[in-house]
Amino acid sequence: MAWDLIFWVLCFFINIALLASSFYQLLSLSDLEADHLNPFEATTRINSIVLPDFLLQAFLCLSFLLTWHWFMFLFTLPITAYHLMLYLNRKHLLDVTEIFRDLNTEKKYRFVKLAVYLLLFTVVLFRLVISASTLYTMKSMFIHIDFWGSTVGGICKLVIRIF
Amino acid sequence: MGTENPGRPNFPMRPSFTPFASAPPTVRPFSPSGPGTGSESSNFRPIPPGAPPTMTPFSAAGPSPPVRFSDPSVPSAPIASVPPSGAPYQRFPTPPFPSAAQAPPNRAPPMGQPPFQPPAGQISVPPPFFRPQTQVLPVPMGSPPQNANFPPSSMNVPQPPTDSSLSGPRPNFQPPFPGYPSKQPAVSQAPSPFPAQQGSFMPPPASPSPFPSQQGSYGPPPVSATLGYQSRDQMQHPGSAPPTGGVQRLTEDFSSLSVQSIPGTNDPGLDNRSLPRPLDGDVVPSSFLEMYPMNCDPRYLRLTTAAIPNSQSLVARWHLPLGAVVCPLAEAPEGEEVPVINFASTGIIRCRRCRTYVNPYVTFTDAGRKWRCNICSLLNDVPGEYFANLDATGRRIDLDQRPELIKGSVEFVAPTEYMVRPPMPPLYFFLIDVSISAVRSGMIEVVAETIRSCLDELPGFPRTQIGFITYDSTVHFYNMKSSLTQPQMMVVSDLDDIFVPLPDDLLVNFSESRNVVETFLDSLPSMFQDNVNVESAFGPALKAAFMVMSQLGGKLLIFQNSLPSLGVGRLKLRGDDLRVYGTDEEHILRLPEDPFYKQMAADLTKYQIGVNIYAFSDKYTDIASLGTLAKYTGGQVYYYPSFRSGIHGDKLRHELARDLTRETAWEAVMRIRCGKGIRFTSYHGNFMLRSTDLLALPTVDCDKAYAMQLSLEETLLTTQTVYFQVALLYTASCGERRIRVYTAAAPVVTDLGEMYRQADTGAIFSLFSRLAIEKTLTGKLEDARNSLQLMLVKALREYRNLYSVQHRLGARMIYPESLKFLCLYGLALFKSVPLKGGYADVQLDERCAAGFTMMALPVKKLLKLLYPSLIRIDEYLLKPSAQADDFKNIMKRLPLVSENLDSRGLYIYDDGFRFVIWFGRMVSPDIAKNLLGPDFAAELSRVTLTEHDNEMSRRLMKILKKLRESDPSYYQLPYLVRQGEQPREGLLLLVNLIEDQMGGTTGYANWITLIHRQVQQN
Repeated sequence: MAWDLIFWVLCFFINIALLASSFYQLLSLSDLEADHLNPFEATTRINSIVLPDFLLQAFLCLSFLLTWHWFMFLFTLPITAYHLMLYLNRKHLLDVTEIFRDLNTEKKYRFVKLAVYLLLFTVVLFRLVISASTLYTMKSMFIHIDFWGSTVGGICKLVIRIF
Repeated sequence: MGTENPGRPNFPMRPSFTPFASAPPTVRPFSPSGPGTGSESSNFRPIPPGAPPTMTPFSAAGPSPPVRFSDPSVPSAPIASVPPSGAPYQRFPTPPFPSAAQAPPNRAPPMGQPPFQPPAGQISVPPPFFRPQTQVLPVPMGSPPQNANFPPSSMNVPQPPTDSSLSGPRPNFQPPFPGYPSKQPAVSQAPSPFPAQQGSFMPPPASPSPFPSQQGSYGPPPVSATLGYQSRDQMQHPGSAPPTGGVQRLTEDFSSLSVQSIPGTNDPGLDNRSLPRPLDGDVVPSSFLEMYPMNCDPRYLRLTTAAIPNSQSLVARWHLPLGAVVCPLAEAPEGEEVPVINFASTGIIRCRRCRTYVNPYVTFTDAGRKWRCNICSLLNDVPGEYFANLDATGRRIDLDQRPELIKGSVEFVAPTEYMVRPPMPPLYFFLIDVSISAVRSGMIEVVAETIRSCLDELPGFPRTQIGFITYDSTVHFYNMKSSLTQPQMMVVSDLDDIFVPLPDDLLVNFSESRNVVETFLDSLPSMFQDNVNVESAFGPALKAAFMVMSQLGGKLLIFQNSLPSLGVGRLKLRGDDLRVYGTDEEHILRLPEDPFYKQMAADLTKYQIGVNIYAFSDKYTDIASLGTLAKYTGGQVYYYPSFRSGIHGDKLRHELARDLTRETAWEAVMRIRCGKGIRFTSYHGNFMLRSTDLLALPTVDCDKAYAMQLSLEETLLTTQTVYFQVALLYTASCGERRIRVYTAAAPVVTDLGEMYRQADTGAIFSLFSRLAIEKTLTGKLEDARNSLQLMLVKALREYRNLYSVQHRLGARMIYPESLKFLCLYGLALFKSVPLKGGYADVQLDERCAAGFTMMALPVKKLLKLLYPSLIRIDEYLLKPSAQADDFKNIMKRLPLVSENLDSRGLYIYDDGFRFVIWFGRMVSPDIAKNLLGPDFAAELSRVTLTEHDNEMSRRLMKILKKLRESDPSYYQLPYLVRQGEQPREGLLLLVNLIEDQMGGTTGYANWITLIHRQVQQN
């Protein structure tokens, strides 16, 4: 039971990291478009986190598979496969010389990723809460009454003391 | 009438301009808009002095309402008013009639009286005014209010037009009444958009009285609509043909070829001789300058069509590329140099908002205290030092001393705000391959000798910097410190971690170290004479050069003789695998193999280093990878396959010398601005984009052109004229920072036919070829050709559809006169080196090199390459006495058909890059003997053409010299070939006769038939 919770917490953080990475890349691209950033800087920024991003995504996908979370695995599979394809074609890095030509495609791709990760985020959060609450209900079955008893008693005592 | 100001340059403009005022777009938005605003606006008008600021919003929002409003409210009033006003203008009404015959633009006479007339004459062409009359009605209505307001202004009224003419077509500008400076701001802003105002100027004369009754009958909205159209038409076709005038006109609107192919046969049924051929070379359409005489010369900026479509749906129907080709530093003929202007203390006058530079199309208002930007219509203050009074016609009185206000091409001296660092000195750095193949080919000798001979002509004399690196399997640096008597050579053999052995002195001021440099160049060939090293550490050497140059930037000339084999950026043989060709993997061969090259190119651009590649190898050198360096740094690729100094030496000598001595702009950036509603979306050529619309060009020179495509951002353009402004900020060799500014205006049209009429074949093919070459980098050659063909067919089909309703086209193929060479150049592009055939037709390296070259070629040069000239010269050579004027006669170009090759003749084929001199089989032995000397009977591949001591040989040399002088950017090396000498003849000449059917390619007549068939299929 505890493992389940730990797993979902881990997924939660990985998911946040992926979200942040997508968002950051998107931000860099729109900065580039608005001329707040030059292409050299923008590509260096984005290219430096592309691989970690891919690895994290692959890890997430794999861990879903290994933990038999079929639905989650299938949900993350397309992006992983797409990453793999990009990587094998050596197209995963932005090309600084042609970046303006590819800008729209790259932005669209990152938008889609961001949307998927947001969706994933809600699902993971949901599962996290469920597993946390089940754990809690299991463990606190017994403490529950005691807890309430003591709390109510404490408050009563407090009230009495005040008056 | 118009004699008073005949000399004025502006006049031509004004007629066109008036139409603008009555912009159709404005009409549309307005008609829907509520009458309430109309009333408001009408109020404003009468009280022009009122509040200018408030007015402005109206102009933008709903100018038309006023029109409408005025119509209903003051229907009769306007009419009435017109006649009254007419009294003051009495002249007008009368003049129009006499002039009317030739020039419908009578509108001009009304207001302009004398001054206007001239324009009218120019514009006279517009026969159209059939409808104008009915449409004119609205105008009077609109105008009345003005007249009413300014009854005394009759004097002034004429002025506004002139003023507007100066300012250009901008609708907003027109209104300003010079006479009423105080009112101007208000009036000009708000009213201008209103058709009515415009109307006041021109139309009243045209048909004031006849249509009053009509007015009443018309509902206001319809009137406005018609007005819009009419006026638009007028403006569009000021100089040329009427938009949709009479039927007779229509018939002349297109050219046609009758294609009657007999089913089942290959005979196209076309008369070969009647097919259109560009034997005059590049013909620049004149309408660009005629309509707007203050536009920059087309040698700097050419639009694919000088009529900008007003809506996205129109763009979608225009299947040809829509855009511009810019050659920012094109060489100007003697006497037409771009004037240099130094604003010194004033600072450069630019629009506050859109940063447009002051240009002939801005309008001055408010007695000269304000100017309105023609691109974003923002009202800017005129700085105190720049202030000048306006004369009675609204022109600045100092106009003659202000070239920037009368010329479309000017150059400003940039103050320090335009520098991020002190202007760099001209810098030339040479990276020379000295491995065994380079030594053997004799390249080193020629290069050293040429550089040495050019030392005196390097631009920017006292500041010029120079440096050298040579490399084989190691990298050699040269210390050229001025105190040394001999250069010191330092060898670095650690290729994995290359470093620069000396902090400075590798790059020296040429004037100080001249002796050392000369000693070095003298000894360079002998130094490596016995080098047997076969390796080439190109990548490390490039990195070293980059490190040396990164402080300053400059031009890096790379002389590469073999495939880079050591260190970073080493390349492997590609293209041997025949199975790759024709598959989806094929295009990868035309892309750089190693990401190192793209990364390096980006870094070089960042540090303002431009790279020119000279490649010499007889084996595969992967030009696709090497050329990338030139592509993204604004450079170019020179390719001399199988270089032998004895044969190709002259070519290299000439081209290297030109590269070193031509006027070069350093650390440049270029931007092209255009009016609201349109945007340049893609750029094509050799450069790197630094932001969405800023081209980074470490070095630029006169042999480089850049193409760009534009798209509409709004579904409907509301302006009548679109302005373009190219600005190139650069450091001149003399060390001054300068801004070269080109301004051009083009009308916005609603009619597809007009776009076709104003099309510019040269610019279209410049863009076409770049698009097609880019396509070969992402797909198969065949796909690139197919997409090109599809575009041609679509364009012609659309054009056919325009006329197929009114005319029985039958089997005729129709095309606009302006695009009569569309098919031929399309065919030529199909057969051009970067696109033609498949694997066997062109060596991979050659294809890539041609691709890089064509991406940078100016329009004229490109057309010459696509359709080379073929000239018969034997008659001239045999003539007993030759006069100078004979020369012109013999320069008659022949169609590129093998039937034209007479076996008794001697022909020169010239594509701008080489000559092929073709000896007919039966050419008189006299000629051959005189031209070739004693070995005339030998195989011609071993013979080089030299001047012999006889008249004939001298004449031939003179012809070659003349041909070369016509375009010095490349040197045409003569290749001699004799008829029937295969396969040489086929390779050199016959494949290039593009009208012939050769191998798997189509001939011209068949091509026309093919295109025609596809056009007819829907």
